[in-house]
Amino acid sequence: MTETSTIDPVTVSVVQGALETIAVEVGYKLMRMAYSSIIRESEDFGAALTDAAGQGLAESAQSIPLQSGPIPGYVKAVLATLARRGDTLRPGDVIMHNDPYGGASHGPDVAFLVPVFHVDQAGLEHLVGFSGTTAHHLDIGAQTPGSCGIVEAIDAYAEGLQFKAIKVYDQGRRNEAVRQMLRDNVRAAEMVVGDMEAQVAASRIGAERMAALVARYGFAEFRAACAAMLDQAERLMRRAIAALPEGSFRAETFIDGYLDDPARSNLALVATVTKQGDTLLVDLTGTAPQVDDRPINMPFHGTVDVAVWLTVRSVLLDTAIHGHVPVNEGLTRPIRIVAPKGCLANPRFPAPTIARFCPGNQLADTVMKALAQAVPGQVSAGIGNLKVIAFSGLQEEGHWVHMEIFEGAYGGRPGQDGMDAVDTLYANTRNNPIEDIESHLPLRVLRYELREDEAGAGQWRGGLGSVREIGFLTDAGTSVEGEGHAHRPWGFLGGGEGVTARLTLRRADGSEEALPSKVPHRAVRAGDRFICHGPAGGGYGDPFRRDPALVLEDVLDGLLSAETARRDYGVAIAGKAVDEAATAALRGAGTP
Amino acid sequence: MRLIGVDVGGTFTDLVLADTGTGRSVIHKVSSTNADPSIGVTQGVVELCARAGIAPAAVDQVLHGTTIATNAVLEHRGAVTGMITTRGYRDVLHIGRHQRPEHYSIQQQIPWQSRPLVKRRHRHVVTERLVPPRGEVLVPLDEAEVRAAARALKADGVEAIAICFLFSYLNPAHELRARAIVQEEYPEAFVTTSAEVAPQFREFERFTTAAMNAFVGPRVRDYVSRLAGRLKEAGVSGDLQVMGSTGGVASVAMVAEQPVLTMLSGPAAGVLGGAWAGALSGRNDLITFDIGGTSADIAIISGGRFGEASARDTWIAGFPLLVPMIDIHTIGAGGGSIARRDAGGAFRVGPQSAGAQPGPAGYGRGGQRPTVTDANIVLGRLDPENFLGGAMALDVAAARRVVGAFADELGLTPEAAALGILTIVNANMANAIRSRTVQKGIDPRGYALVAFGGAGPLQAVEVARMLEGREVLVPPHPGITSAMGLLTTDLSADAVRTCFQLSTALDLPRIADDFAAMEAQIIARFAADALPVETARFTRAADLRYAGQGYELRVAFPADEMADASGLLARFHAQHKAEYGHAFPERPVEIVNLRLTGAIPRPHLGAPPPRAGGSLEEATVRVARVVFGTPAAPEPHETPFLRRELLPVGQPIPGPAIVLQTDSTTVVPPGCTLTAEAGGNLLIAL
Repeated sequence: MTETSTIDPVTVSVVQGALETIAVEVGYKLMRMAYSSIIRESEDFGAALTDAAGQGLAESAQSIPLQSGPIPGYVKAVLATLARRGDTLRPGDVIMHNDPYGGASHGPDVAFLVPVFHVDQAGLEHLVGFSGTTAHHLDIGAQTPGSCGIVEAIDAYAEGLQFKAIKVYDQGRRNEAVRQMLRDNVRAAEMVVGDMEAQVAASRIGAERMAALVARYGFAEFRAACAAMLDQAERLMRRAIAALPEGSFRAETFIDGYLDDPARSNLALVATVTKQGDTLLVDLTGTAPQVDDRPINMPFHGTVDVAVWLTVRSVLLDTAIHGHVPVNEGLTRPIRIVAPKGCLANPRFPAPTIARFCPGNQLADTVMKALAQAVPGQVSAGIGNLKVIAFSGLQEEGHWVHMEIFEGAYGGRPGQDGMDAVDTLYANTRNNPIEDIESHLPLRVLRYELREDEAGAGQWRGGLGSVREIGFLTDAGTSVEGEGHAHRPWGFLGGGEGVTARLTLRRADGSEEALPSKVPHRAVRAGDRFICHGPAGGGYGDPFRRDPALVLEDVLDGLLSAETARRDYGVAIAGKAVDEAATAALRGAGTP
Repeated sequence: MRLIGVDVGGTFTDLVLADTGTGRSVIHKVSSTNADPSIGVTQGVVELCARAGIAPAAVDQVLHGTTIATNAVLEHRGAVTGMITTRGYRDVLHIGRHQRPEHYSIQQQIPWQSRPLVKRRHRHVVTERLVPPRGEVLVPLDEAEVRAAARALKADGVEAIAICFLFSYLNPAHELRARAIVQEEYPEAFVTTSAEVAPQFREFERFTTAAMNAFVGPRVRDYVSRLAGRLKEAGVSGDLQVMGSTGGVASVAMVAEQPVLTMLSGPAAGVLGGAWAGALSGRNDLITFDIGGTSADIAIISGGRFGEASARDTWIAGFPLLVPMIDIHTIGAGGGSIARRDAGGAFRVGPQSAGAQPGPAGYGRGGQRPTVTDANIVLGRLDPENFLGGAMALDVAAARRVVGAFADELGLTPEAAALGILTIVNANMANAIRSRTVQKGIDPRGYALVAFGGAGPLQAVEVARMLEGREVLVPPHPGITSAMGLLTTDLSADAVRTCFQLSTALDLPRIADDFAAMEAQIIARFAADALPVETARFTRAADLRYAGQGYELRVAFPADEMADASGLLARFHAQHKAEYGHAFPERPVEIVNLRLTGAIPRPHLGAPPPRAGGSLEEATVRVARVVFGTPAAPEPHETPFLRRELLPVGQPIPGPAIVLQTDSTTVVPPGCTLTAEAGGNLLIAL
């Protein structure tokens, strides 16, 4: 807080607005230039600006939290790595980095970072910050095609190429050797390299704009404005934390892990959230030990921290209630995260991490479950987790690779039902239009609807899951990483539990196979199809207190059967109306 | 020709009558009649004719900007709407792109889930399926199911029906057949098909557009026919035409069929009015800047042409909309924007607004929070006696009180706090303009800022300074620029087709055929309205992207290039470089959509007759202290308050000055020069 007293609040606000505008521009341009649908349709990318030390200053509003959130961590790790090597940053450098033990969220999320320099009036050159982007790449040279569903990688080396603070541009000169190695070692190289070029172009624009901004204000004033901006965000979070009741709040949930493998399944995630004055301690002690040879371990920096921050922010500074909240590192200062070394949430190198997506989102849900005890009016009941499926094949001598994220659902919320069939918590990607998929890939989307009559019952019903069927028009390959097949999303305050997800492979001959939530790469034939039932969220509050009129709405909409209305909600439906007398009798008989 | 432009706003209905022969125009304002705006419109037209001393029958055309469709969506008051869609895809409208509007929110609402345009009970599925690449029939349409669905929807009291099949943009046959069946079963229903409204890929967005068309359809249809009737009763025999979102007008019949095309009717008219004003000063690179109480609308005009929004960026009330619209960027910053400190101590202005009720504290209606207008009052920039031509007295003490209390919180003087409020709101606006210019490869420094709306001329010069702009134009009647814009438009209609062709394997004859078919479609539409088809002008364009990308850029595709796409591709690479800072000329390009616009020219509002002008002495109402400068160094200046209509023509007047007129106030800070031009604009050189 030393520098803030010298700067006026108007300049702070103006600088902050300018930084946000730059971050949005970088994200916008990356999304529009990118080739692969995982970036441009699913929006699985990040864009952010940091100061010279790697403190986050602003992030792009379009990019997803799991991608923008880690960028400051990437920068800090790159700075440390370069320092260890005795290397320095120069204007024109572009750094590539994807080390999950060095800030990266996981290997496929490759960052391109451009250092920003300012020459002051005395002619001295200063490093003032970084403009960076991350994006999920289609393939990073792992053991099987695609960069998801690599669920049998036994260590970090099996997950694909590792880039640790590599200068792909050195003072403006492109490192052709790295580029060539990349082209030779990833599948669908045209696409991957094209996406990377888009990242470099977008990051450079951000760097240019940030340098112009610093030039406009001078480095000292810029730095003071940034410091004040971070302090303001920190105060915002401290006040929100201070309003919580004192105490420690513990929650536990489970991930499937590998359901066909007893030793590696049903693993606990534990979060104990302790409020101390205006700070929070999030202690993950009790979380299951790391799985040494399967990639569901979560990088502490890049996944675990982002999952915790996301949940705390979304619950305590919910933008639907608080309006725009600036995203910068000040927000996370009052939050301390502890996880014992060697647990799922803080693995030891070289434990594999590439499939940490769904466990990390479950961790975010676990933190919400803990916070629910402190602020029951600001949470949702348990969330239905996600699933990613990679589709791939060969066309002539090249690969086609497509990744599709399968949505979950939110639990019921105070005063409203859960959000149906959406991406959840730290992921907020988009599906690909059916008309785009079928126009460009040998796939057919055969069904995309809500899952009927299966949701967490509650005064506020859990969000509904989806049913998606995707068929293969040619022989191809596929792999799956998901969660939520074995453990139901939690109900809250008397609400019922949600519904688990499931995945079926129906072969062309009509035979069916129930699949677990993780499927290593396997061959499929033309005519086979996946039938993917997404999970439904948990219920919030006693279902017998749900307004019978809302139960009727669900019945009329075909989302709830009259039998379920009777059983779960104690509401009798007669024709298109509520039978008031019968309902009173059912409800008088007590809650289920 | 005598033309009347009528623009209906939430509070006032603005009217202008112009005689294109003499160049004379008369303006008028009446209160809007929100329950049925056609009453206010008709009354305004009648009064305006009386003012101008002409009979209503002497009016040749009435051009209308309406918010009926927009309000129906914003207020979620539309028809009970049904949908018939492909079996297996009942919930495309509900699941959307499975993305939440807000990243960091548990309690948010998703518009299409919490306020569905079509309830699930009214979404019926029927057996049929088309597939790419050309809309081949994989499963034939089950007509009996369509009939059954139509009957069920009729029995359920549904008033409007959207027919939405997958891949219908490649082959509309199933949708058209289904529509015919629905019309047989239920002729009174408003029926729309997705391919007719938005023949482009992306099913959620197309289905939503069709559903929205149905949702607002009956209301808009009833409104325009009621208005046409009222005008006729009042003796106005001229044609009624309605402004669309693309800046062209359309017949009542066309609007009744595709009301979704009028979503940005009013703002589009504003952009046209801004372009007209720019032309009065001989400028055609313009940033139009329309600021009202709660929001600011920004659009860019380059070389006299305005941009069209990318189909991925058009939203109404949180719903995506896949119809052509002028690219208008709206931000929550206006005269009523509220200044506050957030819980972290940060100084913020907007997007919360004091609105019209209670309004800024200075309106004396009980507003207790400091707004942009209050800051202007504290700095002495608004004349309490001459605000809105004296129509409203300002409560200076109240404005000082709320700004003063806010200043105490910040530890600033009231004047520094007021300057801070303006600096922050102006910076927000400048950022919004940068996002539409600098970020797209346009250098705003060569553009004139055209400021209108009640608050535009108050803020414009300081915003232009932040952009390092050189000049600001204030149109003759900044408060009714949208109504003026209505009189500068042509009749237009648009057609679009998705084509998905790669530059490495182009089928140019097929593209030529597609354009010919679209042209025939537009001609038929014009002919149906008995318009002079032979005068129609057509403009061709295509949406292109590098193969694999998900966003397209609109590129001109002139008719004489149908045999050779090299010019088209070169323009695409150049535009990609301009907009994103980078091009990939070695990569294959995909033509995604073909677009055709047909326009039939109409007589336009001309330049106002030159003004004789007065003198600085006559114009000066008084001289008073007005504060300029920065929050760190406020600078009071003795500043003349000038009556616009008495300004000397063509004589440069150094700032500072405040220019008063009935519908707005223009602030001319120190260091810039004001000139009242003979053409009618105020020109402020920075």
